[in-house]
Amino acid sequence: MMSTVFLLGLLYAVFVTVLFLVGVKLVFILVIAFVLLFVQYFYSDRIALYSMKGRIVTREQAPQLHGVVDRLCAMADMPKPQVAIADVDMPNAFATGRDRKHAVVCVTTGILRRLDEPELEAVLAHELSHVAHRDVAVMTIASFLGILAGLLTRVLLYAGLFGGFGGGGNRGRGGGGGAAGGQLAILELGMLLFSALIYAISFLLIRTLSRYRELAADRSGAILIGQPRLLAQALVKVTGEMSRVPTRDLRAAEHFNAFFFAPAFAKGVSLSTLFSTHPTLERRLQQLTELEAQMGRAA
Amino acid sequence: MKLFDVLLGRTKPAQPNLDHLFGLPGAQITLEASLGLRPTGQAGVCFKPATGQQFAQTATEVEQLLDLGENTKIHDESDSYGYRWAVITDDDFGDLINEVHVVNTTLQDHGWGPQLLCSVFGFAPIPGGAADPAAATGAPTVAGTYLVYLYKRGTFYPFVPLPVAEKRDSDRERLLKVTLAQDLSMEPDLERWFPLWGLPVH
Repeated sequence: MMSTVFLLGLLYAVFVTVLFLVGVKLVFILVIAFVLLFVQYFYSDRIALYSMKGRIVTREQAPQLHGVVDRLCAMADMPKPQVAIADVDMPNAFATGRDRKHAVVCVTTGILRRLDEPELEAVLAHELSHVAHRDVAVMTIASFLGILAGLLTRVLLYAGLFGGFGGGGNRGRGGGGGAAGGQLAILELGMLLFSALIYAISFLLIRTLSRYRELAADRSGAILIGQPRLLAQALVKVTGEMSRVPTRDLRAAEHFNAFFFAPAFAKGVSLSTLFSTHPTLERRLQQLTELEAQMGRAA
Repeated sequence: MKLFDVLLGRTKPAQPNLDHLFGLPGAQITLEASLGLRPTGQAGVCFKPATGQQFAQTATEVEQLLDLGENTKIHDESDSYGYRWAVITDDDFGDLINEVHVVNTTLQDHGWGPQLLCSVFGFAPIPGGAADPAAATGAPTVAGTYLVYLYKRGTFYPFVPLPVAEKRDSDRERLLKVTLAQDLSMEPDLERWFPLWGLPVH
């Protein structure tokens, strides 16, 4: 999943660089970038639901699920998000939507089948915490900033390279002849590599941010239900079950990991802490155990 | 600070607002005068038990504080959503409100504040009164009328379940909302009027 997302992003970075190099105006590139951000930000709920084939369920269709979400929202004093069910056997849940008013919380039929009620409540509390923390907005803006950083580096480099040749970019380009043309190609290749590097760094930073926010959602969710132990139980159950599910199902959901409760890993992909969107199970369980101990002492 | 909290992914547990309960005596008069409803004498405080908190201990303390008279009873129940209910019975409505308040503040003092979900007050038609469905049709059509107090919002909403499984009388609830608008702050967001099926209060 990581390699796919990484390569896609890299492609995007290279694409923007090429646009820039072939002379497309910077303003135009910025407009494209902003349109992409806008679409991602305002349609996050619909895109996410559509790609997971989740459908919004009414209170009549899923009274129990609605009942749990109702109560959690009343306890946390937040508006109730829409509730959706995805007909996927992989046990998982996700929250999406740009703010509290446009949020959707979705669970898979797989998780409904495998978790008992208190565990499901813990998972929903985790997802509602994502909504309360505005994680979709933060992560969208963060990844956009990464792209912007890459773009800005290119602009600065370009200005520096071609502004520095005394006579300005155009004269340097036109008057140099064959030798200068070759030099230029190397410079442009260098720029391409450099922007790829910038992208790689921002990618790592965004992953770090994502893991941090998962832990934050675990923490708030556990405090909301008052029993960190239940969230830990659910995590163990879901991650344990997930590696047992056939690989085919998992692959279909891979690109979607950033929104998930626990990431799905296909067989053969090594679990790299550095690239992962979610902290390791051990790290998450450790935090919950500490929290449980803290709450026990406080009482 | 707000932006900072968003960036760091922090939320503070919502604390309850306990003061609005004292608007209830006014609501009682209005309900009796305009809809022929009066308190059943039962109320429930609903909360989520948390790790390490000994409810038994708190319950004992509550009972000591209330210094229960002969007409007052308190017992606790669990519901299917994993919440606990402290159900109080007292025929004097004013006393009942005070007792609910004592339960609330005791729970809050023990750090249960964020765990408080709602409290519920039961109402029923005056027997033989104009609003008594039994008087007109010979059979009760309304299972009960409840006023639910949302601690975190500081608002009330009506809940009128029908005897039919998991159906509620929305028209009657809307009527109650309008009737009580002067006495209580009613919850404007209808999405938050969640149903409490099988609640242990009568």
